[in-house]
Amino acid sequence: MPAATVGQTPSLSTFVKSLKTNSIESSIELLASLLKRRQIKNSRQCALATAQLLLRVVAAERIKDPQKLIDRIRDVGRRLVAAQPREMAVGNIVRRILGVVREVIESQAGDDGSGSSAPSTPTSPAHRQSKRPMISHSFSSFTPLSHSAAMPYDMHPRPGTPMDSSASTVDGMADLAAPRRPGLASSASYASTAPQNASLLSFLEHPLGRSPAGTPPSRNSPRMTPVQSSTELNKEKIDIKAEVIDGIKELLDELEVVDTQIAESALDHIHSNETILTTTSSQTVQKFLSTAARKRKFTVIHAEAYPNDHEITHATILNGGKKSSGEDEEADERWKPLTALGITVILIPDTAVFALMSRINKVILAPHTVLANGSLLAAAGASTIALAAQAHHVPVVVLSGVYKLSPVYPFDTQELIEYGDPGKVVPFEEGDFMSKIDVQNPLYDFVDAELVSLYVTNLGGCAPSFLYRIVADHYRVEDTDLSAKTG
Amino acid sequence: MPPKAKKGAPAQKSKTSEDEREEPLQAVVFADAFETTFVPFTLERPRCLLPLANTPLIEYTFDFLASAGVEEVFLYSGNHTDQVEEYFKKSKWTRPTAPFSLEIIRSNARSVGDAMRDLDQKQLITGDFICVYGDVVANLPMETAIAAHRSRREKDKKSIMTMVLREAGEAHRTKSQNLCPCFVIDPVTERCVHYEQVRPRQTPRLDIAEEVLKDHVEVEVREDLVDCGIDICTPEVLAQYTDNFDWQAPRRGFLYGVLKDFETMQLSVHTHVTSEGYAARVKNLQAFDAVSRDVVARWAYPLCPDVNMVADQTFQLGKGCVYKEDGVVLARSSVLGRKSVLGKATSVGEGSVIQESVVGRRCVIGKRVRLDGAYIWDDARIGDDTIVERAIVANEAAVGKGCHVHPGALISYGVRVADGTVVNGSSRITKAKRRRSSGAAQAGKATTDPKIVGEGGEGYELAVDDDEDEKLESLAPGDIYNMSNAALSDDSISTLDSDDEHESLDEDSKRRSSRSESFASINSDESGDTRRRAADFHHEATASIVDALQKNEDVNNIQLELQALKLSSNAEDKQVRRTVAVGLMKRIAGLVESGTSPKDAVSKTLSPNKLLIQRSVSTNKEEFSEQVEFLLYMQTDLVHRQQGDKILLFVCNVLAHDDLIEAEGFEQWWEDPRSSATEELAEVRKETKQLVDVLVASDDDDDEDEDEDDESD
Repeated sequence: MPAATVGQTPSLSTFVKSLKTNSIESSIELLASLLKRRQIKNSRQCALATAQLLLRVVAAERIKDPQKLIDRIRDVGRRLVAAQPREMAVGNIVRRILGVVREVIESQAGDDGSGSSAPSTPTSPAHRQSKRPMISHSFSSFTPLSHSAAMPYDMHPRPGTPMDSSASTVDGMADLAAPRRPGLASSASYASTAPQNASLLSFLEHPLGRSPAGTPPSRNSPRMTPVQSSTELNKEKIDIKAEVIDGIKELLDELEVVDTQIAESALDHIHSNETILTTTSSQTVQKFLSTAARKRKFTVIHAEAYPNDHEITHATILNGGKKSSGEDEEADERWKPLTALGITVILIPDTAVFALMSRINKVILAPHTVLANGSLLAAAGASTIALAAQAHHVPVVVLSGVYKLSPVYPFDTQELIEYGDPGKVVPFEEGDFMSKIDVQNPLYDFVDAELVSLYVTNLGGCAPSFLYRIVADHYRVEDTDLSAKTG
Repeated sequence: MPPKAKKGAPAQKSKTSEDEREEPLQAVVFADAFETTFVPFTLERPRCLLPLANTPLIEYTFDFLASAGVEEVFLYSGNHTDQVEEYFKKSKWTRPTAPFSLEIIRSNARSVGDAMRDLDQKQLITGDFICVYGDVVANLPMETAIAAHRSRREKDKKSIMTMVLREAGEAHRTKSQNLCPCFVIDPVTERCVHYEQVRPRQTPRLDIAEEVLKDHVEVEVREDLVDCGIDICTPEVLAQYTDNFDWQAPRRGFLYGVLKDFETMQLSVHTHVTSEGYAARVKNLQAFDAVSRDVVARWAYPLCPDVNMVADQTFQLGKGCVYKEDGVVLARSSVLGRKSVLGKATSVGEGSVIQESVVGRRCVIGKRVRLDGAYIWDDARIGDDTIVERAIVANEAAVGKGCHVHPGALISYGVRVADGTVVNGSSRITKAKRRRSSGAAQAGKATTDPKIVGEGGEGYELAVDDDEDEKLESLAPGDIYNMSNAALSDDSISTLDSDDEHESLDEDSKRRSSRSESFASINSDESGDTRRRAADFHHEATASIVDALQKNEDVNNIQLELQALKLSSNAEDKQVRRTVAVGLMKRIAGLVESGTSPKDAVSKTLSPNKLLIQRSVSTNKEEFSEQVEFLLYMQTDLVHRQQGDKILLFVCNVLAHDDLIEAEGFEQWWEDPRSSATEELAEVRKETKQLVDVLVASDDDDDEDEDEDDESD
């Protein structure tokens, strides 16, 4: 036992362990190098590691100026994203946390601005109707496709008061910050990464006055509350920190339960005696299918995702949801294989997908990243499946946690795809072969939005064309461009 | 190893596992491989900082160690330690955020064995450690190998080392084409039972000991393994090096020795053969080329340029394995082919074609240039209409307009090649003078040779192989032939003192050729076994003499020991002579290096030990060939030593004074063509000329019937 801990290959679990002992800076370096070396990979692990790290960063920071906190988080985020730009979950989590910070700051500023510490709940309902509704609250009513009533409670550290108060004060702030608006929009400089999406967003938001959200209260407060006492200020700052930490913890909780939330809508999508095609060993898909399998009988056809994921796919089919390394905290919950639940699982090579597609009722995919326009990156082979499904008019359902949803717009799809070790295609031992032939092994496929019928997120289902709305709710425009190279 | 240890324990309960931490995993890195395969580049830069796909080699090694979870690293730096230290001062590895603590050890070790012994003395190693060269590119999963090593060690304390080997096919570009390691492994216990270096399709048989075949029901003979020098060692390994002071190289010295002594010591070496991941050593230019191509073609994934290992790198991957950093300027009509790497702020002119090439930072590539498989390092300039094929152009070098650089050419730092020059494939052009030559320790600028670099160029051609033990394996495959020719023709006495620094690939080949042809050949027997035994004798005896001299032991004891060694290995008198000569010179040189003046050093060493020379060199009046030989051995040895010329002078003086060598001996030596075969040899003996003249003259005075043409020199 002791021997195992010495010289252990670093991974997510060792990283989380070392977070407690290492200094912040070395933790950041460590995570960056782990990302570079692909010792932490896959959206989920990246998201967990990033959230844990930022939790430490925020906890250690002495917040004098909230803007400094934002800058700090942005800076850390930029370094992590630069380490591995293709793991977009990292950037997503950083943006979400930035969003949390901004929200907390706004709510504080809002409290000050309105001059009343009491939440302005009475005014809010009417107020909200009159302007653009806060989608994250009433999202499910807006999506015609939603099947689940899962509320995004996790989006806001305090679902009740801060949100409402900020909504109520937004008008007042908008006037103050109006001259600032163009500056903000240009400083975000999303033209390189998300032109269409961002312009749409700014169009939507400007008249509604959400962009002043980025205006730091530190600049506003002198004007708005010149009489505020210093003690009150101090108290408020401590609050900011606590609330941001709460927000990050809730984000971590979200990452924990995201699979369960997605699986809640399984019965709406999978019906008796259906034949489902899936690929790779995604935990989300496995959980989704096994939830449905408790009630219904259906057949699963599993493409093996050779050459990068076939081993783990085989293991999943044989032994059930073997937790990928690094998620030891959930080890108590070991999933049974689908076959143990009485489901017929047929393993096929990736090449047989088209031949079988005519018999399939539904394709379920798990993405690596979902992009703002509804297209996605998934394990290599997904594109073949989606195209075959389109040819046979088979619906493609994509199961994705919101944390995989990225505000990045696919400017150059080639650039998003990572190329892996060609040794998995042609063994390294084949010396003659490898010196004469170029072998490429793409890890991901780009699947266009047109090929996807439905996204099922932890907020419920929605059409690909509607994803921009979720993006708008979860990410601030100011944060879209963390660094020059997000893609 | 119970797998539970890792998987079972929930990460949240990390407190329990923290208590389990024992000593940290340590690693020893040899920044210098004690070879000269990268001459002329290593004349000015340490080998570990040579850029492979625009990233210094040591970064790959350190990244590998970090990914294996190493916590303490000791870096042994041979030459250019200042540059190494300077580099690390700026790098991320010495910051507090580094994944491991780094200690750079300055040493004057001349082999891995020396470094190991030094390490043992310093007592820095507390537990098992990983031992690698500073030129390893690997992403092997080490966890299983370390676990296997530990579990073996728990069972058996005598299991002292695990070699990590990567499976590769018969012919592989990262493998040496000339000489392959051949491992004989017991597949059940994974123990290595025999090791030999063979040349593919040429070595007719292996020399496996009888007991090995008796003891093992089953053995695998494997020639398909890439040995990248990654060893997991126990502290016992260091002790073994200390006990056997003549072991220099980890394979030919250590491994061979341990296997040979298995019967008595029962120490065993195991192998861990992996078929996953990438591992290669950039040990010569051919490997440099192969590994560069592997890294660019992502075989070493994730160790590819776009990982941006060094902090300020900004490589991005484009289609067809093209990596570009920020600020690359490509002319509209230039063509950037597949598998290319372009560093920051490099500009490429109109109509240039680049493919399978690595171009460093801030390079200026002219118009209509063709780069095909070229390695252009930082700040180099390539003029218009020039063609560079599989060749290396180092930092700040400039190639003029309309040049043609053929495959295999090496153009070192700062060299300027004038317009319209054709650089052929075997040239190694440099501006730096070889440091060891003529005993002067200073690197100076050599004279420009316009024949090589054209009128107005700067740089001269480095003589191929004058004193290194191994010939270059050139970049271009077709070129190996040329190179080996060069090495074969180089059968001068300079190889007499092959220091056997390292298990280099070609050392053996060189020896085979040079030994048999040069007069100094210890043994004309062609069979590898006797030759090796001869080499063993030489090593062992030299080391024992040096050791004894250091301890000021009685000369009779030394003589006795030498005699015993001679008898036990059935050595010839010739070998003994060589051994005595080399041993004495080594000791003297050692004293000189430590600050003693050459005169004192010589008198201190020689006067009490005259007996040694007397016994090995006959003073028979009729037969001077032995004396000549002894002088030649000394002269050759002194070529590499500091102040070799002075030492030679004083030694000759003492020898003549004590009548150990007759004047005729000196005379014949002086006239012997072998004593002035190369420039360096002539250089060394220059100082002695006067003495010889005097000796010969006085001799002539004594006996008038002697030859009279002694003044001809």
